[in-house]
Amino acid sequence: MATAHEKTQNDLRSTPVRDAEYTTVSGRPVEPVYTKADVPHLDSTLPGEYPYTRGVHPTMYRGKLWTMRMFAGMGTAAQTNERFKFLLQKGQTGLSTAFDNPTLYGWDSDHPLSMGEVGKTGVAVDTLADMERLFDGIPLDQVSTSMTINAPAAWVFTMFLANAEKRGIDFAKLRGTLQNDILKEYIAQKEWIFPPEPHIKLITDLMAFCSENVPQWNTISISGYHIREAGATAAQELAFTLADGFCYVDHALAAGQDIDDFAPRLSFFFNSHLDFFEEIAKLRAARRIWARHLRERYKAKNPRSWLCRFHVQTAGCSLTAQQPEINIVRTALEALAGVLGGCQSLHTNSMDEALALPSDKAAEIALRTQQIIAFESGAANVADPLGGSYFIEKLTDELEADAEKYFEQIDVLGGMVKAIERGFPQQEITRSAYEYQKAVSEQRKIIVGVNDFANEGEELVIPILEIDESVEREQVVSLRKVKEGRDNLAVKDRLEKLERAARDNRNLIPYLLDSCRVYTTLGEIRQALVKVYGEYKEQAFY
Amino acid sequence: MAEQPIKVVVGKPGLDGHDRGAKVVARALVEAGMEVVYLGLQQTPEAIVAAALEEDADVIGLSILSGAHMPHFRRVKELMDQQGLGDRLLTGGGIIPTKDQETLSGMGVGKLFGPGDDPQMIVAYIREWVKEHPRA
Amino acid sequence: MKKSIPEDLWKAFFQGDRLACARLITIAENRKERVPELRDALANRLGRAVRIGITGPPGVGKSTLTSLLALGMADAGHKVGIVAVDPSSPFSGGAFMGDRVRMEGLVGDQRIYMRSLASREGHGGLSPSTPDVADVLEGFGMDRILIETVGVGQAELDVLECTDLVVLVLQPSTGDAIQTMKAGIIEAADLIVVNKADLPGKDVVLNSLRFLFGMGLTKKIRPVPPVMTTSAMQNEGLPELVAELEKLASVLLDSGRHADLRRARMEKEIREAISQCLWTAYDGLTGATKCIQEKARELVEKAESPYPFIRESCSRVRVQALDKEASNGHGA
Repeated sequence: MATAHEKTQNDLRSTPVRDAEYTTVSGRPVEPVYTKADVPHLDSTLPGEYPYTRGVHPTMYRGKLWTMRMFAGMGTAAQTNERFKFLLQKGQTGLSTAFDNPTLYGWDSDHPLSMGEVGKTGVAVDTLADMERLFDGIPLDQVSTSMTINAPAAWVFTMFLANAEKRGIDFAKLRGTLQNDILKEYIAQKEWIFPPEPHIKLITDLMAFCSENVPQWNTISISGYHIREAGATAAQELAFTLADGFCYVDHALAAGQDIDDFAPRLSFFFNSHLDFFEEIAKLRAARRIWARHLRERYKAKNPRSWLCRFHVQTAGCSLTAQQPEINIVRTALEALAGVLGGCQSLHTNSMDEALALPSDKAAEIALRTQQIIAFESGAANVADPLGGSYFIEKLTDELEADAEKYFEQIDVLGGMVKAIERGFPQQEITRSAYEYQKAVSEQRKIIVGVNDFANEGEELVIPILEIDESVEREQVVSLRKVKEGRDNLAVKDRLEKLERAARDNRNLIPYLLDSCRVYTTLGEIRQALVKVYGEYKEQAFY
Repeated sequence: MAEQPIKVVVGKPGLDGHDRGAKVVARALVEAGMEVVYLGLQQTPEAIVAAALEEDADVIGLSILSGAHMPHFRRVKELMDQQGLGDRLLTGGGIIPTKDQETLSGMGVGKLFGPGDDPQMIVAYIREWVKEHPRA
Repeated sequence: MKKSIPEDLWKAFFQGDRLACARLITIAENRKERVPELRDALANRLGRAVRIGITGPPGVGKSTLTSLLALGMADAGHKVGIVAVDPSSPFSGGAFMGDRVRMEGLVGDQRIYMRSLASREGHGGLSPSTPDVADVLEGFGMDRILIETVGVGQAELDVLECTDLVVLVLQPSTGDAIQTMKAGIIEAADLIVVNKADLPGKDVVLNSLRFLFGMGLTKKIRPVPPVMTTSAMQNEGLPELVAELEKLASVLLDSGRHADLRRARMEKEIREAISQCLWTAYDGLTGATKCIQEKARELVEKAESPYPFIRESCSRVRVQALDKEASNGHGA
């Protein structure tokens, strides 16, 4: 006997409907309607209550709005400093630093591989001198600062610390987040230096150092953002990100740290794509899964260890180069999903990002979008406003179940490092990216302005930011001057000590800090550590 | 005799790690019956052209999303001309402003593709180009 | 005869022009009808190179190891050609060839020439043009030719056919794979390398190998192959591997086995070319293809043996006519 619910669904399935593919952007099939029967075990907990499905705080945004944190960085440190001040003046509440590609790989601006890349997609930082210019006049003890850097994160962070120290700012007062998530680099973004184990060692070193010395700092932002941008589905983003998180926990525990010392400082970073409800459900599922695993599997006692706190960025890959103005609408929907999903901070992409780095105007509109959500839409008044929606609750359950299935597969492969070495997440993502592209090619998925509703002979009418080619020359000259002006004997001495400490397997953070204090370059530190750890080579998983 | 497959060398010069586009396109080319030599990340222009030469590739495809497209395309084209590969197609994709595309086109670089362009367009373009430029 | 390979291409090739070499490889790969022409021109330059097959299950690090071997051999004074074979898609005919990603340090090294080859109609095995491509590389002056295969199925056996030495690459976690490997490949290997020896489980593989050889399960006339361990990651074991391979190569050359192998391959080539040529002529004269089709249908229907028809067809062959036809056809 079919239940009344099944009958309704069957009736609806046989009712003629528009010819379209009724799946989410991740290819998940959805029903025409959801009812109580879809969620027999409705999660009836409150926001701020374990397992935090509905939010990490009881009052959510009534207590504190999310931090409006716009990712910025381009050209020289002085140029980025200007953009920082512009954004703070427009009402932004936290800083987020984008570094250029050479910096992300730990190369100096004068390295041959840096040709054409200096200051292009972020700010170029070679030494403490650049860090000084980057944060000049910004009260680091008052504004929280996020730095999107991974492979050389440990020594970019000690450069940041050396700058704070020079300015007499107490480390205990520094607030912010270091992305520092190397596993997703192997999976998606591909910006690494060493093989996984030494990188993870540096991460656990930093966790230990910060627990003691920089207690308000989020030592890692375990990131699904890039995994999603590389083509993952919502479920893959969720599963691989949390699996990375478990992997860091395992390593810190293996290094002898106490779970409740470091877990409260772990934070996350998710993507918010265009499939509104699935994204909200993904964020809710993330909190529930993390809380359950931390409490039940890892036996963390401190409730702060159970919290999955996260930053959200709207999906760069959903932006189109065609009719760029309509990207404002896409971003607004994605940002709203991030807020309804309970994010702690949010970056909204600018409409021109499929074309170039954001112009001032475009960045301002993106920030204004957040302000409209916060102050005009009413979305910030009520915690988890969609909790109890049959559809949202059902999707939350489904995503959780999908993630658990992936965790099992990863366990079978011997954990996340092994799974990455075997190319498992990489292959899963490459496949999803291709499936999605095929759906777009075959017009099963519509992208307005691209494969439907396109404007013939469209002309670009928005201003585009151009990075002057002279930035590279300027930066190379400035680096040379720093090298000439510093105490080169001290640099040599610190590098030797660093190398020895690496060979002796000591906590390297104090040695990195010492090296940065005397204006050792990013690339010099890289070289010293590569001697000990070797370099990781790309595995072409296809 | 059956038509011989088109051989394409695909690489990412410079330092950006965003290889989603390169891989999706590579796969579309393979499914269209082409033989794709995938070089991977962080390739110097010298390495890309050396590989294309040894492989006797019909086409070099570069993917660059870092904004460093001008120096890389310029250098690759220069090396191709120097090494006798001037009769092969240099194409690619990334976030490349129209103005830069025009400059590169003036240097003999082929059509460039951007976000939202369907990989099938690239397949069709390469097929058409190879048909119109038969090699001795 | 159709248009031949241009004179200036040969000239450039013999002067060491890499692009000319690239183009001749393409001809060897794409134009089967030009192969006799290639063989004619290269004949007096062939016969001294050692062709080494590198095979093993996927993921054991063959490409990286191949590139490091090539560098090691180049340092020992050799010129090295690499042919890396990847499978063609049976559906689209396309191929994804990713070996270069994992090859290191070859860029700009004039002592080494690397070429990727799609398996094409070699269904799951080597490309049928592999030996011809190796000939071009040898003609270009390469005296060590490394042929890297996708180490599954047919490719493992194909590589035995066209090489002088075979290196089987394994890794610590492939203990089980040894059991399921194509029969013959373990016995046929001249050298076994356990790569990625930095990973746990090395002893398991070494023990399974010892067990296999110790139990006399292999029917090899030659002695048990040396088993070496390497770690490309930690740069270990490579000089030893190069030295061991060079030792095997000189034994091969000095013992006359190298010449024997060449002779055997040449015999096979001649046999196959003649059968092909005879068949083409026979088919042309008698319309055999169509006739066989009809006959087969009839025989299957009646459940009869094909041999009366085969005997009858053979007895009707007029050798003189075929002779005449052959001299005008293939191989001029």
